Formats: sequence, C-alpha cells, structure tokens
Amino acid sequence: MDANAQLEFDIAPDNAEGDGAAALARLLAAYRPVAGSHDELLDGDGRPRAHWRPFLNDLAALGDAGLDRAISAADRHLSDNGVVYRVYEGADGRERPWPLSHLPMVMPAADWAELARGVAQRAALMEAVLADLAGPARLVASGAVPAALVAGNPEFLRPLAGVTPRSGRYLSLYAVDVSRGPDGRWWVLADRTQAPSGLGYAVENRIALYRALPDMFERRGVVRLADFIQRVRSQIAGPADGAAPSLAVLTPGPANETYFEHAYLARVLGFPLVEGGDLAVVGDTLWLRDVEGARRIDVLLRRVDAGFMDPLELNTASRLGVPGLVHAVRAGGVTIANALGSGLVEMPALRAFIGPLSERLTGKPLSLPSLATWWLGDPAVARMVASEIERFTLAPAFGRTIPGVIDSQGVDVATLEPADRQRLVAAIARRGMDFVAQEPVRLGTTPVIEGGRLAARPCAIRVFAVNGPDGWTVMPGGLGRIADKPDARTLSMQRGGRSADVWVLGRGVEPPAPVLMAAADSVTPRRDSGGLPARAADNLFWLGRYLERLEATLRVVRNLAGRTADDDPDQAGHVSARRLADLLAHWGAAPNLPRRIEVATTAALTGALPGAAPGLVDAIRRTATAVRDRLSPDAWRILGELKRALEAAAAAREAGEFGLAEAATTADEALRLVAAFFGMTHETMYRRAGWRFLDLGGRIERGIAVARFARRLSGPGADANDLERLLELTDTRVVYRSRYLEGLAARPVLDLVLVDDAHPRSVTYQARKILEHLGQIVGIGATTDPVIGPAMALVDTLVKSGPAEPFGPAWIEALESGLMAVSDAVTRRWFLDAAPFVGMAGRREGTATPGPARGEP
Amino acid sequence: MIYDISHRTIYDYSVPVPGARCVLRLTPANRPGQRLISHAVTAEPAGDLTEAADFFGNTVHRFALTEAHSRLVLTARATVEVTSLPASSGRGPTVAAARLAALAGRDLGPDAPGHGLFPSRHVPLVEAITGYTARSMTAERPLAMAVAELNRRIQADFVYDPQATDVGTSPATAFAVKRGVCQDFAHVMLAGLRGVGLAARYVSGYLRTVPPPGQKRLEGADATHAWIEVYAGEAEGWLGFDPTNGIAAGLDHIVVAVGRDYADVSPVDGVVRAAGGHDLSVSVDVVARSERAKAALPAG
Repeated sequence: MDANAQLEFDIAPDNAEGDGAAALARLLAAYRPVAGSHDELLDGDGRPRAHWRPFLNDLAALGDAGLDRAISAADRHLSDNGVVYRVYEGADGRERPWPLSHLPMVMPAADWAELARGVAQRAALMEAVLADLAGPARLVASGAVPAALVAGNPEFLRPLAGVTPRSGRYLSLYAVDVSRGPDGRWWVLADRTQAPSGLGYAVENRIALYRALPDMFERRGVVRLADFIQRVRSQIAGPADGAAPSLAVLTPGPANETYFEHAYLARVLGFPLVEGGDLAVVGDTLWLRDVEGARRIDVLLRRVDAGFMDPLELNTASRLGVPGLVHAVRAGGVTIANALGSGLVEMPALRAFIGPLSERLTGKPLSLPSLATWWLGDPAVARMVASEIERFTLAPAFGRTIPGVIDSQGVDVATLEPADRQRLVAAIARRGMDFVAQEPVRLGTTPVIEGGRLAARPCAIRVFAVNGPDGWTVMPGGLGRIADKPDARTLSMQRGGRSADVWVLGRGVEPPAPVLMAAADSVTPRRDSGGLPARAADNLFWLGRYLERLEATLRVVRNLAGRTADDDPDQAGHVSARRLADLLAHWGAAPNLPRRIEVATTAALTGALPGAAPGLVDAIRRTATAVRDRLSPDAWRILGELKRALEAAAAAREAGEFGLAEAATTADEALRLVAAFFGMTHETMYRRAGWRFLDLGGRIERGIAVARFARRLSGPGADANDLERLLELTDTRVVYRSRYLEGLAARPVLDLVLVDDAHPRSVTYQARKILEHLGQIVGIGATTDPVIGPAMALVDTLVKSGPAEPFGPAWIEALESGLMAVSDAVTRRWFLDAAPFVGMAGRREGTATPGPARGEP
Repeated sequence: MIYDISHRTIYDYSVPVPGARCVLRLTPANRPGQRLISHAVTAEPAGDLTEAADFFGNTVHRFALTEAHSRLVLTARATVEVTSLPASSGRGPTVAAARLAALAGRDLGPDAPGHGLFPSRHVPLVEAITGYTARSMTAERPLAMAVAELNRRIQADFVYDPQATDVGTSPATAFAVKRGVCQDFAHVMLAGLRGVGLAARYVSGYLRTVPPPGQKRLEGADATHAWIEVYAGEAEGWLGFDPTNGIAAGLDHIVVAVGRDYADVSPVDGVVRAAGGHDLSVSVDVVARSERAKAALPAG
C-alpha cells in the first residue's frame, strides 16, 4: 500500500491550505517504517496515529524555513552550552557535540501511564531482589537465583555482603531502557541500577527542543519535568532534620564520557560536584576537604562505579574513590546513592529469572517484561540453545565484555561466519555460565528529520524513576535514543546514533505532585555557602589566572597591531614595538625574534605555542570545565564564543586573509568576551570563597602582567613611544592626559600605572584586592596564618613602603616576585595538601627460593 | 608440626606521610588440618588497629594511622600447628562431576565454589592457558589425578625466575614466557582450571624451607608462598596443589588466606598520600619447633 497517498487525504493541516498539505506530503514522502516493527508515527495500516497528527500539522505549518530555524535554535543551544560527551577513542578521548534528534518522541498519556506503572513495579522489584541477594540471599538458598550469578558477578561486593545501607534502601534512582515490540507492547532491554546516567542529558534535550519548538510544546500540553527533578533532589537529600543536608555528587572527573552530565546534574540539583581526591574518611564519617575547613558529607550521589569507590577494600588500583569509604558505609557513617552493590542486578542473566522472582516476591506478574532470556549455566539449557544457536542473540551473562570471546553488547549469531559460530558453541560447551541467549531485539521505530524529510529509525527510551517513602515516582519523559541506520540493533551513543527528547502528552490531566513547595514553616532561611572543595578552588584560581594571562596577551597584540604609537613597528630604529614583541616571545606566545611584527601578532592569536591565545583558551576551558557546576550558563556560553572567535582567526590565517588589521579586530573581539566573562561572573557569582579564588587568581596575574609591561617599557632608554604604549596597555591614556598637561614623563606614568590606588589596573590596586580576598578567605587571624600570613605581610610592605629607588626596575621586579610568592603561598595553603595516593602493596609473594623440605618424617 | 612464624613489613618514606590506611592479612587460618595456637599483630607507630574476618573467613586487621610518620613497622607473629588431613576416600569426583558440582551449590558462604568459578581481577581467562589445561582434563578422569598431572606439568614446564616477572605480570605473559614465581604459577593454574569450567581459588601462606645441607638457616630469608585449591564437590571440598613445587599442599604449607586471586589476599594492602618515594622491606621467618629443638642439641 502507498502510505503517502493515504496521508494526503487523511490529514489536512488545521488551516486547510493547499501549501500546508503539500508541505506535509513532502515531509512524509520518504517515510518508510521498518516491516515488522512498531512505528510511533504510523499505525499498521500506514495511517498517522491520532496523537501524532497535530504534530505533523505543526511541522507542515512551519515549512522548510521554519523547520531550519527550529533546528538551528536547538543546535545553537547545545553548542552554546557546550553539551558534549566524550568518546573513548585513542589515548586522550575527544569531545563530541551531543547529537539531538530535532523531533521529540511523542507519547500519549494513557500509553505512558501504563509504561510508568510498569517501570515503578520493576524498580520496586529490583530493590527487593537487591536487598535479598546482597543480604540474606534467601533467593539463592531456595534456588530461585543460581549462586554462581551472585558469586561470579563483578558487582557482588564481598566487603559489604550482609551490610544493610544506612538509608535502608539500595536504589534511590533507577533507570530502564525500553523499546516497543512489534505489537506495541513495551519490553525491557536493560536495567540501570548502578549509577543511572542520562538524566542530565534528558533535561538538556528538553531545554534545547523547547527552544526549537516552543509553540508546539505549549500548544500540545507536554508534561514538564520540573516536578520530577525537584523530587529527585528532595528524595536524595532524605528527610530534613533541621540542619542543612550535606550532599555531594561524586564524579570520576572531566575525562569521563559523561562528565558534562555530572556537572550539569550537580548544578540542577544544587549539590557540589566533587572528585575522590576532595574527600576523606576520618573515623566512621566522610569529609569534604574544603577551603573553609572540612565539611561532613551525609549523602554522596555517585557517578562512579562501585568497584572504584574504595582503593582500600574494593579495586586497589582505583584512584577515583576514597580510601576507607567501605568502612564508613559499614559503620553507617554515610549514605551512598545508589548504594554500593546496586549494580548487582544489572546483569543480563538476571532477566532469565526475573519473571518468577516477581511472582515470588510481590505476588504479581511482571507488567514490564524483559526480552526472553536464557542463562546458559544450566547444561540442559545450554544444549538446547547450542542446537539452534542461529536463532539467538548471545551476550555476556554479567554484561561485561569477555576479551576474545564476546563483546558487552552481545552478538546476533545469525550474522556470524560459521567458524566464529563454532567458536562460540565451543566456548559455551566449556563455560556456559558466562553467557545468556536472548531473542533477537526488534526495536520499534520513531520519526527523525533527515535532510528536511521524516525518516523512521529504531529507537529506545531510558526511563528514570526515583525512590521515596511513598514509593517510586517515574519521570514523565526520558532519554530517547535513536539509531543511525534503519536496521541497527544497538543504541550506544559511543557508536553513533542520536538522542531525543520524549514528550509525554496530557499536562493538566493529573495535578502535579505537591513537591515544589515545601510546607511554609519547614524551611528556614540559611546563608551557608555550600562550601568550596579545594580542587574547585584550585581550578577557579587558575581560571582567573589564565583569563588575565589571555587578556594581557590580547592587549599586547592589539597594541602592536593597532599601530597607535607613532613609531613604525617594522623599522629597526624604533624599538618600543620590538620590546613588546619580545615580551610575547618571552611569554611563549610567539616565536623568538620574529622578523616582522605581523608574524608575532599572528602567532600570538592563532599559533600552537602554549602561551598563544588558543592554548590559553584551552587552559581556560579545561579549568572552567572542572568547575562547570559553579559557572552560570551565560558565562559558559561566553567561553564558547571566545573559542569560536579564535577559531575564525585561525581559519582566516589558513586562507591567507589574516594581517595586522584582522589581528587588531580579533584581539578587540576576544578582549570584549574576556571582559564579558568577568562581568558575568562578577554579577552572578555568590560572594563567597569561590568568587574570591577566581578574582584572586585574576588579580595576581594582572598585577604581574602590569609590572612586566612597566619593566619592559620604562627601563633605561625608554622613549615617548614606550610610555604611550604602557598607558594604552593599562587603559590609562585618558586619565594621564587630563591629569598631566605637560606631556609624557616616566615618573608620573609609572606612578599612575603602578601605585595609584584609584586605578583598577595598577599593581597597588591588585595588591589591595589580594589582601582583602586572603583576609576574607582565611578569616580571623589571617595575618598569623603560617603560610598566608608572611605572603600578606610581603605584599603589604611592598604596597605601603613605596618605591625605595623610585620606580626602578629592581623595585618593580620585587613587586612581581611578591605577587608570585602570594600565588605559591595560596597553592601551598589550599591546593597542595593532597599528595597522590600510593599503593602500599609493593611486594609480591614467593620471592624467596622455593623448595619445601622433602623427606621430613 | 608446630611452626613459629614472624613476618615483619617496614615502610621507609623519603618524605613523611600524613597517615596511612591499610588492610593486613597476616594471621594464619584456623581450619581443618591447621590450628592457630597464638597470634599477634602490632604496628609502630601504633594506630587504630581492629581485627575482623573478611568475606572468605580470613583474619584481617584494619589499620588506620592519622599521625605523620616517616617509618611504619608492621609485625605479625603466630604459632600454628599443621596436622595431616584425613586421607581422601579415593573415590573423588571425575572432572565432569566436579564441573557440575561447581555450578550446583545454593550458598554464597566463604567456601562456596561459585567464588572460584569466574575470572577475577588478576586472573582473566586466557585461551592458550585453557587449551594447555584441557589436555589434562579429560571429562571422565578422576579430578584429583587430572589436577595433579597439570600441577606437575606446570612445575616441569615453567622456570622459577624472580627476574622474569613482577607483581603486575598477567597470567598470559607468565604463561607465554613460561617463567615466574609462585604467584605467577598459581595465577596461571587458576586461569586454566577456571577456563575449563572448574572452581579454583588462590591460597596465600608460608612454606617451610630447609637450608641446603651443611648451611645455617638464614634469619628472615623465608618468604610468603602461594598455591591453589580446586573444588572437588561437597564431600571432598577444596584440594590444595602447589604448582611451584609440583606437589599437593601438605604439612609444610601454612595457610594464611584464601581468595579469588592475589588481590583478595595480599598480606599488606593500603594507600598512603606520599609526596616522595618509599622503601619497603619484608622479612619472614618460618621455624618448625622440631628444628629449633634439634638446633638446641649439641652438635655431633
């Protein structure tokens, strides 16, 4: 049947205009559902399903141009916000833009309600199974779950066997990957119980797609996610006992595939983002190393797999966790969400037993079933499967790749060469317990936009649920995952594919759960800062320093490229431009002794030297990424623009279209963005330690830079050109001219640039701010602090004493080294106390000569 | 046979460390065929030291020190009696029966076979080792005989060579070079036995050593030792084999801990925040009471 011919008759756009119908026909011209799969858009007769029709009309009404605009709006949001995931390829891994489908997956209210009930039931069942297997293991004793599936499971944490989590529950968050079977019923592809990921990406998808299709979202009554997010926040925090709950999100760090999401989630939930190195177990409790002092952590939301959480009692090679954490858990000193050991029930092999377990533990059949699965540890089952092996998909029983045997994603046996098939059969005969056999997946399909037209692609949804005293709440939405090819069977984001927002219809059908508003008297205003982990302080400090370093470089470039002084930079007789070019070389921004000034400015803006602008922007983004949860999205966007501005300059250079004029323009634009970033952070960051460290780093770097400018441009032989450049580099020309009608002279220029308190670029001004920040961060007794005190005294003396030999190079240099001493002191006082962990097991067994006593009576 | 054992571990740090956290498995086991008569673990500087049993029933000491130090001395002393085990019925299971038995259990207790059935951190399955092992593991052969043969083959085919491998050497590498120390041989044998679907576990402990004739026993020259046990069904339990020496575990083998591999039983494991390097020295003495008595006799 020709589905498209059918469509033209069936659904005319609301405005019933001919061009709308034509647009619709164009959209659907190439839409071909996969035979034998359920399609979200078209029913079995090739007609659009009722809930999709309004959306089709909306899309047709947008027209090609409107659709393009919507798509770029979404992409711009993702790109501006730096939504990325890291691809594990090669040694360092690269970041990829987050691939978002520009169409939502649309779910009718009734369909979704049924799915949500199934998810809640399954989540509760997983909790019950976990509580048994990690505890009394009655299910093993009775034979309902084979002992080998627990004993052989890498997520069975022996040091915690029989230890009930302090919170009384294993799972706070649960996620499940589901897809529709050919009959439209939902099937479970995988359970996620360890540290379910994707919630942050799901929220980002929602924001991006809302930007693209706001009218459609509002008009069609899509259910919002805010209530669910608030519920996650309050459930993970647990019952408030009056004190501020102390929580943190633990991430493996910026190298992780989904670090963006960790930072994003921390920000959305309002918990600090920490790494293992920020934490320490003292006695039975967990502490966060904070620049304001150690702070106890009650609840740790982990994005680190359990095995890596404690190098002392779990994986001793791990450097991601906290030594002694298992002890703290055992002693009831901390709650981990999800509890350590929760990964046990993710294993594919459990799905072979889950149906009967549901009957046994809850007395009810499982309403959200798994794909039919068989564990091959039972020799009879293994023989049955081996005899018809091409009918099945084989997968590792515990979901982890077995090197040289089978990949974690499993394999469709029918697609294998006979020799590989025989190898698998032999492996099953030797060790059937390592495998499960499953019915091959037949994923449902959903529409995506390909080249302005709709196309059907296989899809699955990750659905999230949060545990609470009143049971499980399921998020009205999810992380849709869509394959790139019509016949794909796996959906890993590592291997291509895209994600989609899931729009559940029916806003207003159910009243929102009353979680947004806390009871009127239950929340007392608090002024605590949430603390600042030492690592975050370190990164903020360096973010400030790198930004100012970039600014100094850009100012030199602009000054050189703008030819504001009278001397001709390329003439050997005029040395002031040369002095600045040398400064760029000295900073590692440009090569030594460039023949022409243009070479120096181009290198400083587009070169590969570490001190050149691209390298500094990389350093800025690296440090900013590590504190992403503390920066506003607006500030983050500015960093994206900064990177793009420099990329454009590099592209122009490639094209041979980059000269002094372009260098001046680029430097101007980049300086504006740096200023915008500082402005944004100063206007939005809460005035606590985090902001102070950022500003402290910036002040130190700026003070050093200004001192260096002054030293280069005021030495013996300095002329008017030098002084003119110095005034411009420090934004002081106007002030100078209005104050001194006599013309340029070294002493008044240096007075203004170095020691004028009222000038926000003078070194003295930076010094005063530095003293103020240090005093505030350390608090009472700062001047007697053994590390910070001497540094403060040094700066204070330099500022107060004034020039001993008036403005001589030696004195300027002393200023510079004073500022560097402050930086060293800050590093020693707050950042360095975490020496790396070193393993103590250094000696293996059996290094003495062997040979037992033989012939002993 | 009664043994007096002393095991001392000394860490010397070039830069003082702010504290230490470690797990010690230095106390010989109490189990059939072996009786722990007395034991003591001490640390200098003294910290928070607590004794407990780990999952496998091994005695562990958890040690936490929050005081800065540049030297840490951990000393374990024990007196143990090793007695001969009741003789095997001789009607042990076949290889095929032992494979089924390894999967059949319904408990997760410390001695359950399931713990030894799967690859573990230091013992991934290696096709070449599985193939090497399979040649001895004919299905209908008595298990004890088949494993004893494998044990002898490893002893014959591998060269004891402390320089060839280190603590991180994988079983695949040790197998490829056919060299290593007891830890390597035990890991290779575990990989092979598990590869053919049998349950097997790692045993760490001490081996009584006897000086060459005419030489004096050297103080502190002994070492920890490692061997394996294979699961032979509920009736027979775990049977010990020492592939380094090609013999069954016997009166000279003193068991300290069992686990899936070295990672579960390493005598001292822990972490310390160290800015500089450290030196580690270990000295072990295993003295049989009878020898001490003999040594006390006048020469001649």
